Amino acid sequence: MTLDAIVIGAGLNGLTAAASLARRGRKVLVLERRATIGGSHATEEVFPGFRFDTVSHDAGWIAPSIVRTLELERHGLKLVTPGYTLVSPQSDGGHLALSPDLARSAESIRRHSAADAAAWPAFCGRMHRLTSFLGMLYERPAPIPTSTAPGDLWSLLALGRRARALGREGMIDLLRILPMSAAELLDDWFESAVLKGALGALSVRGIMQGPRSGGTAFVLLHRHAGAPAGAFGAHTVVRGGVGALAGALAASASASGAQVRTSASVRHVLIEGGRATGVVLDSGEEIRARAVLSSADVRQTFYELVDTTALDPEMLRAVGHVRQRGAVAKVNLALSATPAFRSLAGGDGLLSGSIVPGVTLDELERAYDDAKHGGISRRASLEIRIPSLHDGALAPAGKHVMSVRVQFAPYRLADGWTAARREALGDQVVAALAEHAPSLPGTILRRQVLTPLDLETEYRLPEGNLAHGELTLDQILFMRPVAGMARYKTPLDGLYLCGASSHPGDGVAGGAGWLAAKAVDFA
Amino acid sequence: MASAPRYDAIVIGGGHNGLVNAAYLARAGRKVLVLERRPVVGGAAVSEQVFPGFTFSVFSYVVSLLRPEIIRDLDLPRHGLQILPLESTVTPMENGNYLSAWGDHDRTRRELYRHSPRDAEAYDEFGRLMHHMAMAVRPILGMIPPDPTSLSPRDLMSLLRLGRHFQSLGADKFPWLYKLMTMSSADFLDEWFETDVLKATKSASGIIGTFLGPRSPGSAYVLLHHYMGEIDGAFRAWGFQKGGTGGISDAIASAARELGAEIRTDAPVARVLVKSGRATGVALENGDELHAEAVVSGLDPRRTFLQLVDPGELPTEFADAIKRYKFRGSSGKVNLALSELPDFSCLPGVGAHHRGAISISPTMAYVERAYDDAKYGAFSRQPYMDIIFPSMIDPGMAPPGRHVMSIFVQYAPYNLTGGWTDARREAFGDAVIDAVARFAPNLKRAILHRQVLTPADIERITGLTEGNIFQGELALHQLFFLRPAHQWARYRSPIKGLWQCGAGTHPGGGIMGASGRLAALEMLGMGGRANGGGGR
Repeated sequence: MTLDAIVIGAGLNGLTAAASLARRGRKVLVLERRATIGGSHATEEVFPGFRFDTVSHDAGWIAPSIVRTLELERHGLKLVTPGYTLVSPQSDGGHLALSPDLARSAESIRRHSAADAAAWPAFCGRMHRLTSFLGMLYERPAPIPTSTAPGDLWSLLALGRRARALGREGMIDLLRILPMSAAELLDDWFESAVLKGALGALSVRGIMQGPRSGGTAFVLLHRHAGAPAGAFGAHTVVRGGVGALAGALAASASASGAQVRTSASVRHVLIEGGRATGVVLDSGEEIRARAVLSSADVRQTFYELVDTTALDPEMLRAVGHVRQRGAVAKVNLALSATPAFRSLAGGDGLLSGSIVPGVTLDELERAYDDAKHGGISRRASLEIRIPSLHDGALAPAGKHVMSVRVQFAPYRLADGWTAARREALGDQVVAALAEHAPSLPGTILRRQVLTPLDLETEYRLPEGNLAHGELTLDQILFMRPVAGMARYKTPLDGLYLCGASSHPGDGVAGGAGWLAAKAVDFA
Repeated sequence: MASAPRYDAIVIGGGHNGLVNAAYLARAGRKVLVLERRPVVGGAAVSEQVFPGFTFSVFSYVVSLLRPEIIRDLDLPRHGLQILPLESTVTPMENGNYLSAWGDHDRTRRELYRHSPRDAEAYDEFGRLMHHMAMAVRPILGMIPPDPTSLSPRDLMSLLRLGRHFQSLGADKFPWLYKLMTMSSADFLDEWFETDVLKATKSASGIIGTFLGPRSPGSAYVLLHHYMGEIDGAFRAWGFQKGGTGGISDAIASAARELGAEIRTDAPVARVLVKSGRATGVALENGDELHAEAVVSGLDPRRTFLQLVDPGELPTEFADAIKRYKFRGSSGKVNLALSELPDFSCLPGVGAHHRGAISISPTMAYVERAYDDAKYGAFSRQPYMDIIFPSMIDPGMAPPGRHVMSIFVQYAPYNLTGGWTDARREAFGDAVIDAVARFAPNLKRAILHRQVLTPADIERITGLTEGNIFQGELALHQLFFLRPAHQWARYRSPIKGLWQCGAGTHPGGGIMGASGRLAALEMLGMGGRANGGGGR
């Protein structure tokens, strides 16, 4: 049997690409190095009885077109809409609770600022108009502004028309807001430090920048793409953990005839006569196919999986310069009881979405300052999820799993990462949690701390960067992963990129895999 | 009493843009009056004898961006324009070494070899790239911004031409331009060089006048902006006007007068007269009313629209946009009268380096930490500084044997925590001198007089809002058709007959004159010509 395509990596993008190709009748094999599928979106039994979204606890926007076409719901996907998308407990006992219910959110904001409550619906509307535009861009290949091919010119023109359809205000917002800093955008609209801090934390998610850095307003919008107006934070939750989405994708792919092999590590891509013709596994096994799709990040793909001697040094240099500075550590806690946040007591559903302990823009900026000079933030910004609240099966009865993203924990720590520093980071995070939930430390049964270095070693995330390259303005659309490779094809015939290194990148579940599958040329 | 307008145009503010605007209008036969609040013309480009015998370019101190077509059109050399080149930039390092860059490319290359052969090799390619990028942006500097939301044939044609221009850069160059527009100068330079002091010194061009650190996205554009300078066709050459930058203003003023413009100093404007939505003239602070067909403001947008105009005359949307427009002054200036030149430990004695610029930017972390202080409302304890010794280039600036030293300082935030006071100004001056003295220990005993200018002082003296030297930050969201506000980036304003010609309009700051010229062309109905079209 000759394979049409080999997909390297069974993360969300690799599986989506495989499912999409298989659905169109292609014979596809997915090769996953680890024993578990999901890549950085795996749900794993880290401690007996406790299943964690080990790395990423948010699948981002799951495009309805993908869910529908791949029949993911039939294959077991259950999406839950949390009661609140973003809840920010404050140390003074108050909290902020946001949801797509704009009136209810405004009610919560009013406790911090009446003016901000009044501005909220308009802000959500304006931002939603922009994120709808981004969402549209994320469902199609990136426009290439320098291309003179008739098809590309046509799509540029079509894009121009869609931009015009935003109306004058929307168009100016688009041009004006994307390059702004989140701090400037939020200062334009709001006065409440609580509200600005909570949205500010979203604006620096996964990037090595503070909220005063230009382009962070774009990050806020990117993380909001596909969400209903006002649903900042966790707008969609996958029941059973993010790994359940990988499971549904794998089931869909298998149902269409694709094969998914785990514990099958690709050593390198076979290149014959300037063409990718298959892969060689660590075991020495050779597998051939008409096309190879790599969901590994672009640098790993070209620096480790491919013999580069025949490739353009300019292109390789550009690949070497993709910025992918790891900024996030992960702490996973097995808890003996439901966490009790002092300021969230009694509220129904307040723990169901994303929990961001109160932080101000200045605190976020100072946290970034620490990291930019090579240290762990003395007061890191935390983002918490408790997936076991949505699916009791993730933990033993009455017990819970808590997933904490910690920012900033730089990959390039001035003195290097050691086991002692890893545990010190864990202690720091638990102490920070205890400020809001004093009883929490006493309920911790087990704890896992993953530094950016751990994320790189175990999950092959470059520099521990969850996005396979920071999602900043200079690394999106036609510049992702590098100019000239934004359409998934590589300079090597038969080799394609299909991972988060490519447009639209992290935050759009399977988005790159979906578009890459369509770009594969079997002729 | 309505009387017939005496002037075709009244220009508010005798800064270099106002003067350029007046000169171009006069050249087209218009009757023009320039009104300057201070006793001298020039705005932030003035030379003044601050201490007896010592003349300073008080604020703006170097020139490179002045548009060649203006020099040509106004015949400025005949009126006294004489730019003397700055030969070098030397950066003293903390280990006693230094990095120098020279007008002579090969010499710079040899010097770089001393630090890193790899960087010396990359330097050529980098220079070529930046040259290409500056060339790519140059036509845009001379262009009147189109409105991307408009459907008028003129706008559509301009947009199309712009699109074609970018497409013509091709797939190999356009991505670099895009990177320069979106990246931080530190990240951009990291892609090219490994020598920290080289990157620190180059990245400093990306923070001048801007409330950004070298690691903040957006700073790469400011870097490019400073690369667009041109003296006698040589890119990236900075020069010094004989007699100080006031000499440039005087040359433009002289050209304007010769062309028939009238210039009045000590004539502060209190407000713009508006009748039935139309500007009819100005009222001076002394109560005099002067009438004209058109009023052109060379002041920054906040001053023009929120102080000289009755707020009721402006659409709310526009007034809001002007209120949102960011200034965030972040630069200070220290001017010193010296009994002797500073003796730099890295290059002892008096040497060629005193005829060039000294950059206090020893490491990237040094510059970034300078920003960190400012972010939270303090002046930099150890600031980035750009230093020149004008008396070494033009001995007439100081008494024989003595010297003047100009120190541009980044960062000194306008919104200092607790506000600027006399005591804080002096503390700031002390910090600046301490930071220089680390590299030139004799400095303190050489100081005869010192003038310390905080952003608050710059605002008070020149009128520049928040002391921002560019009349508003050169941030991506405040450039081109968004400068100063959407729909009003073409030198017009919502009030008929009231025009803008300051650096708060495209293309912005530096002693460039482009805003003044483009505003005049647009007023004269010749804007289409600037954009490469055939009139309108």
